[in-house]
Amino acid sequence: MLSALIIIPLLGALLLGLWPGGWQGGRARQFAAIVQGVSLVWVVIVGCQFDIHVPGMQFVESFAWVEPLGLDYQLGVDGLALPLLFINSLLGLISVWASPARILRPRLYFALMLVISGAVAGAFVAQNLLLFFIFYELELIPLYLLIAIWGGTRRAYAATKFLIYTAVSGILILGSFLGVVWLGGGSSFNYDPTLTASIDLLPQLILLGALLVGFGIKIPLFPFHTWLPDAHVEASTPVSVLLAGVLLKLGTYGLVRFGLQLLPDAWEVLSPWLAGWAVVSVLYGSLAAIAQTDMKKMVAYSSIGHMGYILLAAAAATPLSVLGTVMQMVSHGLISGLLFLLVGLVYSKTGTRDMTVLRGLLNPERGLPVVGTLMILGVMASGGIPGMVGFVSELVVFRGSIVVFPVQTLLSMIGTALTAVYFLLLVNRVFFGRLAITLPTDVIQPDLILPPVSWAERWPSIVLAVVIVALGIQPSWLSRWSETASLTWRSPTVTVAQAVPDSLCEAFATPTCLP
Amino acid sequence: MTNTLSKTTAAEAHPLQDYIDRLLQGKAMLPDSEINLIEVVGILKSYGVVLDAYAVNLKYMATGQFLVLFPFFKYFNGEITPGKLLRHWWHDRINYEYAEYCMRAMMWHGGGGLDTYLDSPEFLQVCETAIQAKIRRNPILQGIHRLFPDFLPEQVRQSAYITGLGQFWTIMSEMFLTLSDRYDAGEITSIPAVVAHVKAGLVAAATVPITFAVTIGDENYDLIPESAGLTFLADTAIPYVEAVFFRGTPFLGTVSYNAQAHQIPMEQGQFAYGALYADPVPIGGSGIPPTLLMQDMRHYLPTYLHDYYRQGIRGEDDIRVQICQSFQKSMFCVTSAALQGLLPHSPETQSPDEQSANQAFLAYWMDRLMASRLAVVQLPSR
Repeated sequence: MLSALIIIPLLGALLLGLWPGGWQGGRARQFAAIVQGVSLVWVVIVGCQFDIHVPGMQFVESFAWVEPLGLDYQLGVDGLALPLLFINSLLGLISVWASPARILRPRLYFALMLVISGAVAGAFVAQNLLLFFIFYELELIPLYLLIAIWGGTRRAYAATKFLIYTAVSGILILGSFLGVVWLGGGSSFNYDPTLTASIDLLPQLILLGALLVGFGIKIPLFPFHTWLPDAHVEASTPVSVLLAGVLLKLGTYGLVRFGLQLLPDAWEVLSPWLAGWAVVSVLYGSLAAIAQTDMKKMVAYSSIGHMGYILLAAAAATPLSVLGTVMQMVSHGLISGLLFLLVGLVYSKTGTRDMTVLRGLLNPERGLPVVGTLMILGVMASGGIPGMVGFVSELVVFRGSIVVFPVQTLLSMIGTALTAVYFLLLVNRVFFGRLAITLPTDVIQPDLILPPVSWAERWPSIVLAVVIVALGIQPSWLSRWSETASLTWRSPTVTVAQAVPDSLCEAFATPTCLP
Repeated sequence: MTNTLSKTTAAEAHPLQDYIDRLLQGKAMLPDSEINLIEVVGILKSYGVVLDAYAVNLKYMATGQFLVLFPFFKYFNGEITPGKLLRHWWHDRINYEYAEYCMRAMMWHGGGGLDTYLDSPEFLQVCETAIQAKIRRNPILQGIHRLFPDFLPEQVRQSAYITGLGQFWTIMSEMFLTLSDRYDAGEITSIPAVVAHVKAGLVAAATVPITFAVTIGDENYDLIPESAGLTFLADTAIPYVEAVFFRGTPFLGTVSYNAQAHQIPMEQGQFAYGALYADPVPIGGSGIPPTLLMQDMRHYLPTYLHDYYRQGIRGEDDIRVQICQSFQKSMFCVTSAALQGLLPHSPETQSPDEQSANQAFLAYWMDRLMASRLAVVQLPSR
């Protein structure tokens, strides 16, 4: 069942790459979209058969692979991973859809996109530490190539920087995994939270430290973030969507799965520091975003800020805040995906992302009115306006975290206000006023006319916007998958004394999380 | 308006001397090209149709809604049916509001004989009799009139402007539709020919009288009799060009101007928010919202012009902007015709005094056109 989620895209990539005969760009894109569509349908099927009342792993698949190494092919999915599988497939489809049909070397491009999808799905369902690591590394190479071949002018620099940072991240994670298994005395790398019970606190702290830096690079958290704005600015739009929407989630997922769950004692010791780190990351990302003049950089820095919420919620580790991590991951994936798509459209039509020159794009006749409307919706969702998924996830994060770290949570909330600041700056500068894409000059120029945006270009953004609003109005569609898994979470910082509530609503109504 | 040129006072070397020369040679300020001809004639045809509808409604409003303080049905031309009401609410109609905005701009800026006459004792006398006749059986209005004796006369003045603009546009509309017919018949083949047609039309109608009479009960009240001597060119056309083409108003629209910060000229005469200065890309800018007129004109575009618009890269998306651009071009032609018609002396004159008078006259207008869109309409549209 779960293997199909890995095999479908990888097989698709293989077919796309090796099929004899020259495929034109449109044909390759069509094929890749079909493959991603099948993956998405498959995730939905998995979701339909998923029993939300079972807290543990479901659809477990296991067989020995390289026994001497302790590498078993072991897959499973729980409430933490299922929503991430969904956005992986959804954003995979969206990014293929949003790719231009006339692209250089289309077969390689779309094949690499499919490889990323398969590898990320593999990482989310892997229940063996080494298997996770393999999938985690497998996604690096295609992404490196996607930036290095189809990127902007400084693509080589950005791609190399990305590769170096994430390779270091991989080394740290691998080292930590080896330490867990060797010190825990395990016979294989199979995922087992009891494995670390016998490890002393100090080694646990060291192992967790390595994991934190490793995943902190991937998320990315301040000060390991510097590769991200460069990578985003140089990457093409669909790659940015994948990067922000899906690949960063590997870091936060790893943090929750392997940091919080695998090393709970060390986590408990470090959690106040982690919450503090989250605050720094949130405020740094938000303040840096305010200073940006490149729209894409602004969205990239906003990502750094918003990923900080996940660290905060993970540090608090209450049942509700763990649910918040999943919701925030999905919400951020959808919203940043939408924002990157729209920034990409603005760039492709105006040739610039410079907020000092762009003006009045909301102009109904000659500007980009639908793109502008969706952008306003996207920034409102990102700023946590009720009625959209950003509000729900941030509320759950803050509600879940404030009982443990009130000061840090309140400071992180400032990040939400700062989000409104920088995104209002963006919208106000770029979309309101008189239409312009250059600085005013004395040279007499004809009235500006921007090329039209076709519906085919708009649809991917519209789909994301609809999902963002739908999940905002009906948040249980998002939270129900993870409630059981997160509410039965073994919480190192908070003892859940009362019975587990049946639903999220009850969790809000009865303060079960209060110590 | 970012495209402005610097002013100089030397009349001989006016920065827009090129246009002065063109006007003296009987040419237009707009370059003569095939595309410009299509745009100008096509848009004037559509404008003629719309103007006629405005004019009919204005003339009805002045008499049929005379001193009706809450004129709910002023756009219905006296014919109120459920079907028409529904179409009105559905907004499937001509934007008569535009005509009213123009009227208000004219009334606000004043100028010409109409403005003077409406303040004269003979007008006020007839006005008072008409008001008394109208409010004879209306104690509330009688009370209001006694408390605020200037209020109802001001309403009557407004009605006078309404009918004045209506009568002006009736003539203009016919002139533009004839132009279109002559173009279709192959008689008009260049922009200078368009200007000549308009100039001839203005000259021919110059002395057509502007009058205003209302019937209350069985009695007829001559508010502006023919003997007042108000005429088409001097008392409606020139004030109209001044108010609507040049000055306009800074008050409508969403771009706010701060008078305290001197974002609006101190002198009303220096206002430059008119049609010749308007930004075709709608931002809800100052001046009369051109979008209303553009919306109306798009319904009556001749096929050749509509086809031309559809070939633009935004196709039908930005048709109102394209209409506005064409409209602006056509208004530069009308202004060219008006300026040529108003030249103090014949353009062919050999007398140096007369030549310099002509030069000074045109230089004055060119000074005012410095900040206009004149430079932009010189560029090819695509």
